Amino acid sequence: MRGAGLGLRILGFAALLGFVLAAFTPVPNRLNAWMAGSAQLEAADAIIVLGRGGADADGVLTNRSLRRVLHGIELYRRALAPLLVLSGSGDETRARADLARGLGVPTAAIRQVAAAHTTREEGEQISLLLLPHGLRRILLVSDPIDMQRARIVMEHVGFTVLSAPTAATGPSVPEGRLALLRDISTEMAGLGYYRLTGW
Amino acid sequence: MTPDARSLAPLVLFTLTSLGAYAAGVGVGGLRRSALRAATWDMLEALGLGVVFLLCNLAVGTVLALGVRGMTHHFVSIYVLSDVTVPILSLVQALVFRCWRERSR
Repeated sequence: MRGAGLGLRILGFAALLGFVLAAFTPVPNRLNAWMAGSAQLEAADAIIVLGRGGADADGVLTNRSLRRVLHGIELYRRALAPLLVLSGSGDETRARADLARGLGVPTAAIRQVAAAHTTREEGEQISLLLLPHGLRRILLVSDPIDMQRARIVMEHVGFTVLSAPTAATGPSVPEGRLALLRDISTEMAGLGYYRLTGW
Repeated sequence: MTPDARSLAPLVLFTLTSLGAYAAGVGVGGLRRSALRAATWDMLEALGLGVVFLLCNLAVGTVLALGVRGMTHHFVSIYVLSDVTVPILSLVQALVFRCWRERSR
């Protein structure tokens, strides 16, 4: 029991140290930028905006979902690709498509993929939509922390991927940094799971 | 004030109130200075126990989510486990468990 007590103290100290580093230093921001890699904003066949968090009950997009679609619309307006593909839940893609139309993206340039729950399913659905038409080179819009896993999935289903992360650094307040570190931890676990299952 | 300096405000508050509690504890409450080190060890032990409960909760939650996905057509997102309430409830579990152990001695 004494050994267990010492182990718990060491674990507790590590947790406390991790908390202080995460909340009061830029460590999570550096990790965020590292996970994003370099943006490759070049001409592509389509801009893919992956789903994230869906929409609230009143149809309003979550913060991250909104950031992603706004970045995708910006890339479209810079004429980097002729198609804007919006993925996610049904409510999410509808709200995103409405927003894109409202900001001047023609309906003919918008494609909606609304039957996916996971990034893997999104990759499969989007490949069925685009690859038969020879649209292989994509600008992939995702959060910095999701980019690595999303890129693996999209390359696995046959796309040539150009990264277009939504941001590089992240929040500068303690609460935001803690949330960022939590999301990074979740994402690392997801990446490990995808690797384990052969993706 | 820069954003980085503003982000340290909680730490300043923490320091001020901790010093106040120390002064009140020693001056008014009659607490022994020498017991503070042991109290800090106890706190770290409770925190470590909280981490153990958190890992258990995450493991059980992952198995349940993947199990429901595998055995039914219902999709349960793993992201439900990243809710801020999970570590808080894990810490509550740790504190109760530790108090229970103390009371059982």
